[in-house]
Amino acid sequence: MKNGRFPYARILPVLPSVLVFTAFFAVPLAYFFIISFWRVRAFQLRPDATLAQYEAVFLDYSGPLIFTLGMALAIGLTTTLIAFAFAFFCRFRAYRFGTALIFVTLLALFGGYLTKIYMWKTILGSAGILNSALLAIGLIDNPITALLYNPVAVVITLVHYTLPLAVLPIYGSLKGIDDIPLEAARDLGASRMRIFADIIVPQCRVGILSAFSLSFIFAAGDYVTPLMVGGPSSSMIGLFIQNQFGTRLNSPLGSAMSFVVIGCCVVIILTVAAALFAVTRRRD
Amino acid sequence: MGLDRMIWTGFATLTVLFMMSPLAVLVLFCFSESPLLSFPIQGWTLHWFFAAFDRPGFFTAFQNSLIVTACVGAVSTVIGTLAALSLSRMNRRAAGSLMALLTLPLMAPPLLLGIALLTFYTSWVDVPLGLHTVIASHLVFTQPFVILVVSARMLSFDFATIDSARDLGASPLQAFFQITLPIVSPSILGGALIAMALSLDDFLVTFFTIGGNNTLPTFMWGMLRRGVDPSINVVAVLIMALSLGATVLGFRITRYRG
Repeated sequence: MKNGRFPYARILPVLPSVLVFTAFFAVPLAYFFIISFWRVRAFQLRPDATLAQYEAVFLDYSGPLIFTLGMALAIGLTTTLIAFAFAFFCRFRAYRFGTALIFVTLLALFGGYLTKIYMWKTILGSAGILNSALLAIGLIDNPITALLYNPVAVVITLVHYTLPLAVLPIYGSLKGIDDIPLEAARDLGASRMRIFADIIVPQCRVGILSAFSLSFIFAAGDYVTPLMVGGPSSSMIGLFIQNQFGTRLNSPLGSAMSFVVIGCCVVIILTVAAALFAVTRRRD
Repeated sequence: MGLDRMIWTGFATLTVLFMMSPLAVLVLFCFSESPLLSFPIQGWTLHWFFAAFDRPGFFTAFQNSLIVTACVGAVSTVIGTLAALSLSRMNRRAAGSLMALLTLPLMAPPLLLGIALLTFYTSWVDVPLGLHTVIASHLVFTQPFVILVVSARMLSFDFATIDSARDLGASPLQAFFQITLPIVSPSILGGALIAMALSLDDFLVTFFTIGGNNTLPTFMWGMLRRGVDPSINVVAVLIMALSLGATVLGFRITRYRG
């Protein structure tokens, strides 16, 4: 370091942040991982080195696990698709409205996690806002009861929640694309599809991937949404994980479930990444 | 207007409606007279505001939210800014990997963060749960935003200004308070407001680390478990207004765009 008198002066200021990261993220997660190999006896954690919890996860909870990953995949893909189209519109087709639309997206990012779930519950309910509005304007004669308490309601709610989160990274990478190569390609006679597939998509793969990962992981780890709008047929794994800390008091099992979900998420995200990079080869 | 353009405009309009209409409807129903959340709206009232404020526990929860938000905002702003300034002076490789590490908590699902911290506090360090554990836990996912916003500003920072101040005899602290801080302060304030908005809005991590207390989101959760009542809308709108207000202000100050 160039600073002669006190060589660590430049590194020192980062330490409080690193300390917070270590003390309240790295260490708690490491400890939480370790207890997945422990047991609970008489409501007390007992150190052990057993794979019994993981065995229990695969034997007793593989149904909810697969259902959760399927739901999260559906939510992640839907969100990414809508987010990409919307970000594409804002960058290339909306002209001067583009930034305003992105600002609206930023606003939608905040405004409350619980609030959004609760709003969808009241919108989709049989005596709810959508049904009463449709009844009032005479489009339907009887309320549609099939809107709420099913997996579709969970998908709608979570797509709504994760959409702004997914638009921003895609828009960020679309904004980085230079206009000149696009015009050059057009002048040289490339079709719109060619330009889209060969120039635009390859340059925003990272944005697409972060949008998918964010929405996919969030959906896989959520439990309030299935609890509030999902009904009995939507028992996602987050509900069972949360139960181990509320009523069942079995944190080793809850920990094993969490890390199985995380492991599956990593595998799926890597697969999606490999597929995305294989389909969209960069041609320069 | 061509067909192509009509389809795009229609799609964008629907997407914006999908994103914003639930929030608009929520605000609308705060003022609806009927206790049922359904159309058509019969009349208008401010009754639900008084009903929400009169609920036992509301003001404690409100106060707790303000305490947590203020503490989280202050601490994560100071340590996040220090980290960002320090990263801007490191070589690119080291700064990049440290940044990736410190922003890693943003990828963790809040449920995982909440239960891991709950287990850590109760089974290992054995501290009583309360507002202090909530504040410590919120720092983990709020400081990355301060670091990101301030670092983005530091990319275009002219370090020659500091060098000339030092050459002219300013001490490092003088140079920091008279040169660096005034230039970077809009970004710092913006980062602080975003951190506060996130802290105020957080439900999952708070729920697991607060013990027997309440903040506004956990108070709202309690109301939800007891059935739907329009005064929930008021609490929801209050959380939304506070976090949105902080965000809009934050983005305006930093001129952050995507």
